[in-house]
Amino acid sequence: MSDPKVPIPELGDLVVQTGGDTLYKCMQCGLCVASCPWRLVEGEISEEFNVRKVQHMAQLGVEGYESDNVLFACTTCGLCKVRCPRTSNVIDNQRILRAMIAEAGSVPPVYRGVIASLRDNGNPWQGEREERMNWTAEIDVPKFDEDTEYLLYVCCTSCYDQRCTEIAQALVSVLKKAGVSFGIIGEEESCCGESIRKIGAEDTFQTLAAKNIELFNDRGVKKIITTSPHCLFTLRHEYAELGAEYDVVHYTQFLATLIEEGKIKIDKDLGKKVIFHDPCYLGRHNEVYEAPRQVLDAMPGIERVEMTRFEVESICCGGGGGRIWTETDPGARFGDIRIRDAMAKEADVVATACPYCTIMLDASNITEGKEDLAIKDIVEILDQLI
Amino acid sequence: MAEKVGCFICTGCSIGDALDVDKLIEAANETSPAVVKTHPALCQDEGLAIINSEIESNALEAISIAACSGRDKTAAFSALPNVFVERASLREGVVWTHEAGDEDTQMLGEDVVRMSLGKLKFASLPQAQPVEVNNRVMVIGGGVSGMSAALGAASVGKKVLLVEKEATLGGFAQHLHKIYPKDLALEAYPEPDVAGLIDQVGAEDNITVYTGAEVGRIEGAPAQFDVTINQGAEKINSLIDSVVLAAGWQPYDATKLEHLGYGKSPDVVTNVDFEKLVKENDGQIKRPSDGKSVESVLFVQCAGSRDDDHLPYCSNVCCAASLKQASYVKEHNPEAAAYIVYKDIRATGHYEEVYKRVQQLGTVFIKGEIESIEPNGDKGAVIEATDTLMNEQVFIEADMVVLATGMVPTTLDTDVLNLTYRLGPELPEREYGFPNSHFVCFPYETQRTGIYAAGAVRMPMDLASCVDDGTGAATKAVQAIDLISEGKATLPRVGDFSIPDFALQRCTQCKRCTEECPFGALDEDEKGTPKPNPTRCRRCGVCMGACPERIVTFDNYNVQMLSQAVKSVFVPDEFEEKPRVLAFACENDAVAAMDMAAHNGLKLNPFVRIIPMRCLGSFNIVWVADALSNGIDGIMLMGCKFGDDYQCHFIKGSELANTRMGNVQDTLDRLMLESERLRLEQVSITDYDKLPKIFDDFLEKLDELGPNPYKE
Amino acid sequence: MNTSSHSSVLVVGGGMAGVTAAVESAELGREVFLLEKTPSLGGRVSGMRHYFPKLCPPYCGLEINYRRIKENPRITTLTSAEVTHIEGTAGDYKVTVKIAPRFVKENLCDPITPFAELDATVKDPFNYGMCNKKAVQVPHELAFPYAPVVDPTALNDATTKAAIESLPGVDLKQEPKEMTLKVGSIIWATGWAPYDAGKVSYLKYDQYPDVIANVEMERLAATNGPTGGKLVRPSDGRETKRVAFVQCAGSRDDNHLPYCSAVCCMASLKQATYVREAYEDAEVWVFYIDIRANRYESFYRRLQDDEKIHFVKGKPGNIEQDASTGDLIVLCEDGEGGSISRVAVDLVVLATGMVPETAVNKVPFDGLTYDEFGFLVADPQKAAIFPAGCVKRPQDVAASVQDATGTSLKATRS
Repeated sequence: MSDPKVPIPELGDLVVQTGGDTLYKCMQCGLCVASCPWRLVEGEISEEFNVRKVQHMAQLGVEGYESDNVLFACTTCGLCKVRCPRTSNVIDNQRILRAMIAEAGSVPPVYRGVIASLRDNGNPWQGEREERMNWTAEIDVPKFDEDTEYLLYVCCTSCYDQRCTEIAQALVSVLKKAGVSFGIIGEEESCCGESIRKIGAEDTFQTLAAKNIELFNDRGVKKIITTSPHCLFTLRHEYAELGAEYDVVHYTQFLATLIEEGKIKIDKDLGKKVIFHDPCYLGRHNEVYEAPRQVLDAMPGIERVEMTRFEVESICCGGGGGRIWTETDPGARFGDIRIRDAMAKEADVVATACPYCTIMLDASNITEGKEDLAIKDIVEILDQLI
Repeated sequence: MAEKVGCFICTGCSIGDALDVDKLIEAANETSPAVVKTHPALCQDEGLAIINSEIESNALEAISIAACSGRDKTAAFSALPNVFVERASLREGVVWTHEAGDEDTQMLGEDVVRMSLGKLKFASLPQAQPVEVNNRVMVIGGGVSGMSAALGAASVGKKVLLVEKEATLGGFAQHLHKIYPKDLALEAYPEPDVAGLIDQVGAEDNITVYTGAEVGRIEGAPAQFDVTINQGAEKINSLIDSVVLAAGWQPYDATKLEHLGYGKSPDVVTNVDFEKLVKENDGQIKRPSDGKSVESVLFVQCAGSRDDDHLPYCSNVCCAASLKQASYVKEHNPEAAAYIVYKDIRATGHYEEVYKRVQQLGTVFIKGEIESIEPNGDKGAVIEATDTLMNEQVFIEADMVVLATGMVPTTLDTDVLNLTYRLGPELPEREYGFPNSHFVCFPYETQRTGIYAAGAVRMPMDLASCVDDGTGAATKAVQAIDLISEGKATLPRVGDFSIPDFALQRCTQCKRCTEECPFGALDEDEKGTPKPNPTRCRRCGVCMGACPERIVTFDNYNVQMLSQAVKSVFVPDEFEEKPRVLAFACENDAVAAMDMAAHNGLKLNPFVRIIPMRCLGSFNIVWVADALSNGIDGIMLMGCKFGDDYQCHFIKGSELANTRMGNVQDTLDRLMLESERLRLEQVSITDYDKLPKIFDDFLEKLDELGPNPYKE
Repeated sequence: MNTSSHSSVLVVGGGMAGVTAAVESAELGREVFLLEKTPSLGGRVSGMRHYFPKLCPPYCGLEINYRRIKENPRITTLTSAEVTHIEGTAGDYKVTVKIAPRFVKENLCDPITPFAELDATVKDPFNYGMCNKKAVQVPHELAFPYAPVVDPTALNDATTKAAIESLPGVDLKQEPKEMTLKVGSIIWATGWAPYDAGKVSYLKYDQYPDVIANVEMERLAATNGPTGGKLVRPSDGRETKRVAFVQCAGSRDDNHLPYCSAVCCMASLKQATYVREAYEDAEVWVFYIDIRANRYESFYRRLQDDEKIHFVKGKPGNIEQDASTGDLIVLCEDGEGGSISRVAVDLVVLATGMVPETAVNKVPFDGLTYDEFGFLVADPQKAAIFPAGCVKRPQDVAASVQDATGTSLKATRS
């Protein structure tokens, strides 16, 4: 055993005061550790990462969680949070602890570039601000003005990541076909700040949020459709806490309504077996489980199956909590579990509704999947059928 | 002694089909009863009318109803007037557990009838012997339990003497800073308002309070207790009926906890000290060494509890108490740190809510063990502990350390009751000084009739439970008066009128009865002759079983009755190869188990004859001689489990029977008679499935031994 | 002492608390009506194999109490009876009671033979549906009254109904009866129900038949249970030589039952002894947050000394079946060792907690107080309706009896 730890009560109090106000609810039952997706894979992180212990050390106000694997492994998937018998907000507590580390200047190197990119260009993907709308180059996307009903808020990932731009393009296509009054603002938009806040860069988040809020308010935005459930979470909940209340929906919710109202006519037959992967931020963080399934079930010729663990029990793709920007060793990628599950269920397509999930599952599909298994965002599938 | 007896044989419920009823009647007539009747449904109106009219026309004193088990149709057969009723179990005991029409089944049925009639010869209906009572309860201890008991008894019109050692009522609770802070209060545990209780006691005309007083002596027996209360120099004598012992608890002696820093620094205190300290300063917490307003307090749970070197048990309330005290710290100064070092947080039931709320105040919980607590110079303390949830040592400097010391029953080393009983001045202990009344189903099943323990002297408990427990004990104290006044027994044979009669002219002063009575009912004179105290008696018959001279007799249960039952068994000669076994069985458990075997259609060995017993403790070894001389091949005793987790509701009936049997076995061995012919089985009420094998195994053993050589 | 119109006491609920309240009230000299919803007294305890800490059978104490009832003319027992309405004030309550028919002839002499030939069976609620019972039978070995009853669910099927109707002891024409009782006070002791373990989805109660609730474990171990007391797993009859007990399966959980159910720790420790007693080489794991053995520390200590019983400080997060071995794999962190344990067992027993009956079925009388979890709060100022036993707070049998004994005196004086 090392030297005795000396508790500093002020540390725990600081966590509480800066947003981790459920820290002391934790009774150390360990359900979080047993629920954590890291238990489903092997490797160094799986062995080192222990949420319960982190919470206990924080309660005590002792140090020892500075290692990246101890504090930065959490994907913020939220399974522990929804299960926590004491309803301790494990995610927030982690976030605050990371913020304290960030404050002390000990952000893991991998995130430094991300923070710089956000600061300089308003996106985490090292893209120039001017390139934000490159994804619209070959299509016609309406501009948001005072007569537009919905702001289509496109996730940075769908703006800059080649693969994910297709999702945004498909969504634009569908919305246009359905005659929806929507538009984008353009280059002035910044990253919502969801993931950067989760890694503890609170200042960066506050800056981004302030910019966006000012922009939205300036343009008279009232209703927002997001492409990413992460943006949905932040715009709906975190911006609201900053005093900016918008009517925010994820596009799957919006499409489900359109389909129900008969505003989208699906005429082609899919003829495929589709398995839906619940994104953590759509499901557990925003409790949207039905809408994506309604959209899928509206497609003719679809055979839809469920993963072994789905809805609230769904397993994370591994991309949340800033993990989208870090490298995870092969064999320790949660996405692999999903791909293997999809193959065991003999699915043709893994459908999802989050750009992070698309990226992570695509990566796992390369190593674990078979050639004809496709990873698709729901709206991409839908767009092909109308 | 019943002169005029009758026998009523029911032929319903397949009895008539399975047995030759004429031969049952013949068997009954062997003893020439006044009446032998059969009916296809004795329990129905017509059958009962016949029984009633025969009782009346023949002036019957005792009857045998050979029908279903005595556990069934009790309402019908207990309504029979002024007659001793013996139930012979033909249905469960014979036809449902044996092959119909079989010769051995028939012989069993006839024996069942014979045995029941044999008993009747020596049975009579006990007459109620009312006792004049004083309608007075003495409650010892003026804390929450005692006051609750006093108010409970007074509320139904009993006079109460409430004796409190201290100068004021209120007990431990009056020293608390807060019973419970409002924001921690729970509806499920209504906390007593101590001042309110004191006022209520004061306003209750039925209660007389003696403060600064102790019980000098309790003489006599329930309904006739002659008590001396010492109040200062004054001695007050009073006649009372029953007692509630609510003498409370003492904190465990913290001077034994030097390893936890007690005595090394004035800033290491017990939870009791801490409570007083907070109360004295009205919520402000000042460090004893220098009066500094504390900024950190560390609570040590199980300080001397759950510890083999100190109190092995858990004191039940210390977790909740420390949670409350941690809230004092936060109330005194929200910035102050409160640490709780614990093994398990035992915030049972709704107390979980308290745990949760105290967590939310920012209290730090450390599961682990204290390594050391040392003075931090001359102020405060430094604590080293193992934090098992981090697998690390922690080092904490705290202004104060509070040791959550446990509860010790006041009676552990202080005599409180001062009974003049032959078996000692206090209630018998179960463990750790707590009285032996810990039966799950009957928490107030005291070993001293009419004396009921309540509150923390009975077991560690919180204040809400003390109110309940005091009231519960009062229930029993009140009932004891009412039952005894009518001449009835208390639990478990509630309502039994029978009282043991001691033919003392034949007593040899062997003292077995006085030593063995589980309830201390018998005192002794100088020579060692027992002095019965009927109102202490619970009618188990242990004294009757103990007595080698057979001088102890109940009207409806006595040595002769059962001897006669033993002798009534018809024993075929050895060439018939029909061995005979007598099974003396506890009526509450073993006999009920036999009924369950019957209900489940299990078949029992037809060579066994059952004799129900009030308690196996009433087993008298004379029956062994009776049985062996009648040619019985084996004797089985079927009683409850004994030992630490004894199940006998007369405490140690089966254990006593076992000892007696062991003595008889020695004798048998000396007489060159195989001691294996006697066997004791510990049978619980749900062991019905094991009965066939238990009997068959014994019969197999007896087969090995061959027939009883005394068989004719 | 109440001297107004009625001094009689109504006790609602014929479990341990209710039976105790009834006999204690009667022995305090009161006329007592004892009401039980099911066809026999005994309640939850009659379904248990042993009590802790003595490991003695509940039937023993029930037998004594039933004898107290049989021999006390002051007690009127009404089974299959429910209170539908209460009106009035302390000392003068008018209570409407509905009594369901037993569909068996009254004063039937032989409770068994007339129905012996009946083949029709229904799910046995006494055994939590783990097995079937005859459609007409005495509810269990120590039922009080020891009388048969037609299970009404059997009457839904026409063929079964006809078969039942043809039995000589049966009378399907019996109608529900309604009666009015006038009493001075009421003791409400309707007890508890086990929390639905299926709601704690990650513990897979609804998914694997070998994940069972603690109340079912009692039946599995009971002589008169579905396996005759042999500890084997429900799915395939395999001997349960490795058993995991998962504590707080729903209790101490703000998403389920926020309170601690007070008895489950000791219940599991007791059940661990069933397993250890059944098979010499049996191994037991107890997954816990805190072991709350408060008044029974020595019992806990005895189990801690058994090297085949492992206490793991942690709350399991998943249970999966290994398809090749059929084992259930319990995933849990050992909080005190810091390691992750994946324990392969034959059977998982969930320590599901207590839901007070009053959380679901309130007293049909306005103005009573319940706490946030549905427990009934005593408030003698408002009404002479007193909770006793587990409708008041989660408590073990000894505490319930203690409570019911005191409550009978409180009910007597009002």
